[in-house]
Amino acid sequence: MGNLLMVRRTISINFILRKPDPMTFKAFILALALSFGVPWLLIIVVPYGKMRNLEAVHFEMDSDGRDEVYVPRRSGRITTGSAVYGANGCYVCHTQLIRASYAGSELGRPDWAGFRIKDENGVTINTARETTPYDYVGESFAHVGIMRVGPDLSNVAGRIQGYLDDPLTKADSPENWLYLHLYNSSFKTKTFNNVAGCPSQTHLFEERVVRGQGSPEAVPGINMDGVEVLPTGDARALVSYLLSLRKDDAVPYSINYSREKKKAE
Amino acid sequence: MGSDSDSQTKLHDDMELRARIDRSLRHPVMFFFASGAAWLAVALVLGFISSYQSHDTRFLSGVGFLNYGRVYPAHVNVLIYGWGCQAAFGLIVWLMARLSRKECTCAGVILTAGHIWNLGVLAGMLGILSGYGSGKPWMEFPSAIWPLFLVSYFFITVWSFIQFRCSEPGKTYVAQWYLLAALFWFPWVYLTAHLFVFVFNGHPVMAAGVNAWFKYALIFLFFTPVALGTSYYLAPKVTGRPVYSYPLALFGFWALAIIGPWAGMQKLAGGPLPQFMPYVGAAATVLILIPALAVGVNILMTLRGHEAEVGSSPSLRFTVAGIASFLVLGLVGMGLNTPSILKMTQFSLTGYGFEILAIYGFFSMCAFGGIYFIVPRVTRREWLSRRFIGWHFWLTIYGIATVVVCSIMGGLFHGAAQEAYNSAWQDAAKISYAYTVGTTVAWGLILFGSLFFLLHLLLMWARLGRRSQHPTLLQGEHHGESPHGPEDDLDKLHTAEA
Repeated sequence: MGNLLMVRRTISINFILRKPDPMTFKAFILALALSFGVPWLLIIVVPYGKMRNLEAVHFEMDSDGRDEVYVPRRSGRITTGSAVYGANGCYVCHTQLIRASYAGSELGRPDWAGFRIKDENGVTINTARETTPYDYVGESFAHVGIMRVGPDLSNVAGRIQGYLDDPLTKADSPENWLYLHLYNSSFKTKTFNNVAGCPSQTHLFEERVVRGQGSPEAVPGINMDGVEVLPTGDARALVSYLLSLRKDDAVPYSINYSREKKKAE
Repeated sequence: MGSDSDSQTKLHDDMELRARIDRSLRHPVMFFFASGAAWLAVALVLGFISSYQSHDTRFLSGVGFLNYGRVYPAHVNVLIYGWGCQAAFGLIVWLMARLSRKECTCAGVILTAGHIWNLGVLAGMLGILSGYGSGKPWMEFPSAIWPLFLVSYFFITVWSFIQFRCSEPGKTYVAQWYLLAALFWFPWVYLTAHLFVFVFNGHPVMAAGVNAWFKYALIFLFFTPVALGTSYYLAPKVTGRPVYSYPLALFGFWALAIIGPWAGMQKLAGGPLPQFMPYVGAAATVLILIPALAVGVNILMTLRGHEAEVGSSPSLRFTVAGIASFLVLGLVGMGLNTPSILKMTQFSLTGYGFEILAIYGFFSMCAFGGIYFIVPRVTRREWLSRRFIGWHFWLTIYGIATVVVCSIMGGLFHGAAQEAYNSAWQDAAKISYAYTVGTTVAWGLILFGSLFFLLHLLLMWARLGRRSQHPTLLQGEHHGESPHGPEDDLDKLHTAEA
């Protein structure tokens, strides 16, 4: 009897749950398609199509002092390097986005978004500017990044030039600074109490026994008994890519969002 | 007397039908749940390793394939595609068959497609770990895998759609709206995102934008409806009373359908793309609180007055935890996406906390609730140990709360320090140390809890569960009646079929 009651209860629940549905199946699917399709068109399809063919930006005579098309300059093994950057998860800890000042404060950090340089008259100018759509030229996917555990890399190549002036650094070139950073980030300087910030990417290097005078390709500054460290092709592509990340390219006045931008006279 | 025996026959037929549906789906459903739980354990091990590496960068650093930059994406992707999607498939397939009152006639096809899905997850995980990851968040599996997933998704779920169309016309349950919507949204979202990111040759910033949208679309338009569908099935079913308010359910559903698709692009706020897109995304994530409140109130009101059942039934207990997490998700989404806070949360640990809250705190808890309800029915055995269920529950609850609180709080401090541009960057980098340690400990707890779950589930699949008429309850005495109907009816059915 108990079991019977149980079953009857289940059926009556089924009955109560079944409300008369005012909507037909077609209307339901149509409403779903509308509520999804509108945002799908407005924030995915149309902007994607529009951004595919960005209009060229021009330097203009009255604001830039010259009249030509802006061609973003970037050199290095960008496509391969960008893929290595992605496959090794650099984007988990490093971002590549200088946000507009209403959305973030990167413009305020020295070296992140540009440089303080002296112009020909000895006047200090700040070239810091936010990211433009042209900064990712040559890549198929903008590695905007997930978490900013390490510093932003939008201008990393420019910063490294500055790090080489540090008397404690072991690196003699931007490439070698990056190789040291990737192999073991605590090897970059001559002090011994370095904290390893970035996990070491030893899989991007080949360690082998020194023969004769050793390979000229070996990364200098790594002292291991009779073993030298050579960057692999992946490491070379990655470093080449990282050295293409810089913000010293003059952009037209119309897309220069630097606070201290000036019109050409 | 005559009508009495008629209704008795009807009841008996009804019970036999449900038993037949359960039997027809036993292997597909158990396959999805068990392999999902196994992938969950893998995802948690990877999560533990990656979290450990986030505060001790030398941990396993000599092993190339266990590098932080590979383990973290592998952890997230295995959690989503290995566990999340497969748990969702198991729930959709079973709930849709039961609610449409149709037996599954294609268990073989579903199982085959399920194996292909699992092979895809395995190949994808190995691909990421061996350095072939695509580098696009939540799409890191090598790009050959997504078409495979789409095809196997089709062969897993199309039968549920057909079952719904072939069921008696005119009447649907709230749970069915959500399941149908999930079935409808997933392929559209998944195909759109992968075409725009991997196939079409567009602007790199827009590809990143579509990728950011995909994360939130997957959360709000696939995991959320499946979790809510399961809860809308379990809450009335176990308590034996109708859903509290039908209009509120309708409102909650359409609120989600209208708000959900806009969310996600706030990851690119301040970036070089039309700025209405990120801020519309942020606004939509704030507004998710509306469906969260509607559903939360509706389900909790359905359970009101049944506190004893909530305490003793594993399914209800997990469901309540999941629905509570959905409410928290709505509140946190509101708090973290206002423009002034978004600055700090856009690139900090907070995003991870939000995603884990959605995938684990909300979706997985609801899915566990469903699994604790479904598995005894398809295996016709009862869960072996209430202690295992209890440990799974409490370790998961405390673990997830710790992960979420540590990630969100640590992320807020981290983000605030990032914004203080006059202080050295190192100050910001160090500030989250304690929180990442807390996260590591919590992943350890969750891993421990889910090992109990995995073991329990495998024992049930092997039909080593208790052969009893009394469901396994967490508190008090067992009830006298079996929730699955009397055992002898099934035996008769077996004989009749043999």
